[in-house]
Amino acid sequence: MASTPIADLSYRNYDGELTSTNNRWWVIAKSTMRMAMKKKAIWIYAILSGFYYVAMIIVLFVVDQMTQNVVPGQKSPVSGFLNSIQWKDQFVTGFSYGQIWFLAISLVIGAGAIANDNRANALLVYLSKPCDKRDYLFGKWLGVFLPLFVVSATPSLVFYFYGAMSYREMGFLSSDPWLILKLPLMLAIGSAFHASIVIGISSMFNQGRMAGAVYSGFYFITNFFTQLMTIAWLAAQGGPRHRGEGAPEAVKNLIGKLYYSSVDGLNIGMSKGIIGTKGSAAFGIRSPIEMVPAPSLMFSLGTIAIISSLMMFIAWRRIRPVEIVG
Amino acid sequence: MRRYTGSFGSYLSPSDSSSRAIADLSPNLVAQALENPVKYLPVSVASTQNLVVQYGSFVALNDLTVEIPEGCTGLLGPNGAGKTTLLKTILGFVTPAAGSGSVLGFDIRSQGREIRQRIGLMPEQDCHIPGMSAVQFVAYAGELAGMPGEQAIRRAHEVLEYCGLGEARYRNVETYSTGMKQRIKLAQALVHGPKLLLLDEPTNGLDPAGREDMLELVRSVSHGKGLNVVISSHLLPDIERVADQVIVVMKGQLRVQGMIKELKKIAGAPMDVELIEHSDPFATAMRSRGATIEELTHSRYRVQTNQTPAETGKLVLSAAREVGVQVRGLELAERSLEDAFLDVIGAPPAQHPGGFQL
Repeated sequence: MASTPIADLSYRNYDGELTSTNNRWWVIAKSTMRMAMKKKAIWIYAILSGFYYVAMIIVLFVVDQMTQNVVPGQKSPVSGFLNSIQWKDQFVTGFSYGQIWFLAISLVIGAGAIANDNRANALLVYLSKPCDKRDYLFGKWLGVFLPLFVVSATPSLVFYFYGAMSYREMGFLSSDPWLILKLPLMLAIGSAFHASIVIGISSMFNQGRMAGAVYSGFYFITNFFTQLMTIAWLAAQGGPRHRGEGAPEAVKNLIGKLYYSSVDGLNIGMSKGIIGTKGSAAFGIRSPIEMVPAPSLMFSLGTIAIISSLMMFIAWRRIRPVEIVG
Repeated sequence: MRRYTGSFGSYLSPSDSSSRAIADLSPNLVAQALENPVKYLPVSVASTQNLVVQYGSFVALNDLTVEIPEGCTGLLGPNGAGKTTLLKTILGFVTPAAGSGSVLGFDIRSQGREIRQRIGLMPEQDCHIPGMSAVQFVAYAGELAGMPGEQAIRRAHEVLEYCGLGEARYRNVETYSTGMKQRIKLAQALVHGPKLLLLDEPTNGLDPAGREDMLELVRSVSHGKGLNVVISSHLLPDIERVADQVIVVMKGQLRVQGMIKELKKIAGAPMDVELIEHSDPFATAMRSRGATIEELTHSRYRVQTNQTPAETGKLVLSAAREVGVQVRGLELAERSLEDAFLDVIGAPPAQHPGGFQL
């Protein structure tokens, strides 16, 4: 009996189609996303990131039920609630509550995106193919950005269309007709910010875990600083017994800016600027504390642009064809 | 039967898909070639003219003019000779300070992407895409080179099978042994059907059996498959085993280039004679015929005359007949590649780069 295989295993050249050498970044982005989608954690974080909208829909549903169960002629105890809700604020709040999960998603997808490639010398594979640094960097960035954008946009848009269909007569659409355009812009900038930071940090390391730890550290330390600024803000207000006797306006402005000097803060400040609101407490409840006013949109966008560009510049400098011969 | 012989054969062979073979060349070159094929079709897969590459003030390639012919070529040179830089330049990683060059008809300065689409690189270092199985990795490499997804998957299976990783194709590459990692690097370099394969120390870290297998793979892809190979290695026996010709660079300049057979030849074309036993009368008989004779081992002699090898052979046989000793072997004497290499790196730079001289 012959010991050779039946199939012809000898080398044959590939004579099939080869597509254009342009747009290799899309192949890299697709692969990054494909790898990400295989991770269960992504799906869990994606669901959790939309929890505010789900909770809000439940609250609205319950309020609707209570309103409908009122005996005709009697005033509903929650009748004023729906009229007092600042609809567009709900998107800022939802975006704000989702930040921690966006961080988690960007860590899972992006922390190892370049760091693990550095460890495995994968750049040699990429750059020896018809790809260049631009393809590689943009492909990796897009591979983080697109899932983040989809994850953040899906619950927001679901809530938007739910509100548009159910609460149109309560000013959902008329309060801000451009909301449907502002929302994707806000979410895209937020996702791009996370993607840029995580890609930049990832490029500095040879281990995805190290890159993830550094980004998490940066995120939580700046957030802790923000919490300190909350205390400073309350002190600057002068307290409930001494209204009007607080710190000078210049100090308040400075505290206001520092309050937004974190990854979360910049994103929230940017979202308030784009949506055009000062923000309000969650679930339409009136807050006893005056909200810290957001810095100007230009300040938020400028800071986001500078940090994102810096991170991408770092990544650009770190990506280079490595030695071929030892 | 090939349409053109020699160097042109692998480009326009009816056994190839001719459209793809032509598509691998730059459009200008194809137009010129179709007009006047004998004049314009390339006789080399890559060439550089007066190439200068600098890293700051350090000159890595100094006015290098070289032609890499079709077939399997060994790239030799001591450390720091410029082999790395030459490969980097071919791949378009480094921009030359002066001079020009082309690979498969594409300009190295402006058509790096086109060149890399037609080149396969097997780097020296371990390299893979983390988190992927072998088949995913090789298919991804194919997609990066421009293959449609389905074709890339199909081809990845074929190439992995060919490289001897068929059984392990669904395993994560990170769990592979050193030998398997070398094979997967070869597979990712071959997946898109390159016309030029750059192999950098392909036998690094392999045990004798693995080294044997790898050299056999390289030899089989580089002979009769329409695939040109440049193999850079410090192991001269490896080069000798798989390559037909060598290029020796030193201090950024071409030292010598030629067929290995030619390089190993000794001036004066002496012949090695193997006798059945030691024989002083044979040596005396040869000297009486005007030959110089040197005893190499107990029964082996090196004979040199000022005649052709065939005539020297006749003299050997007549001398052996005269003294009554049996000749067991008679061959043209040659040096080892190592001796040739050591001679070359001690010699001045080549005066006629591209010529086959020593």
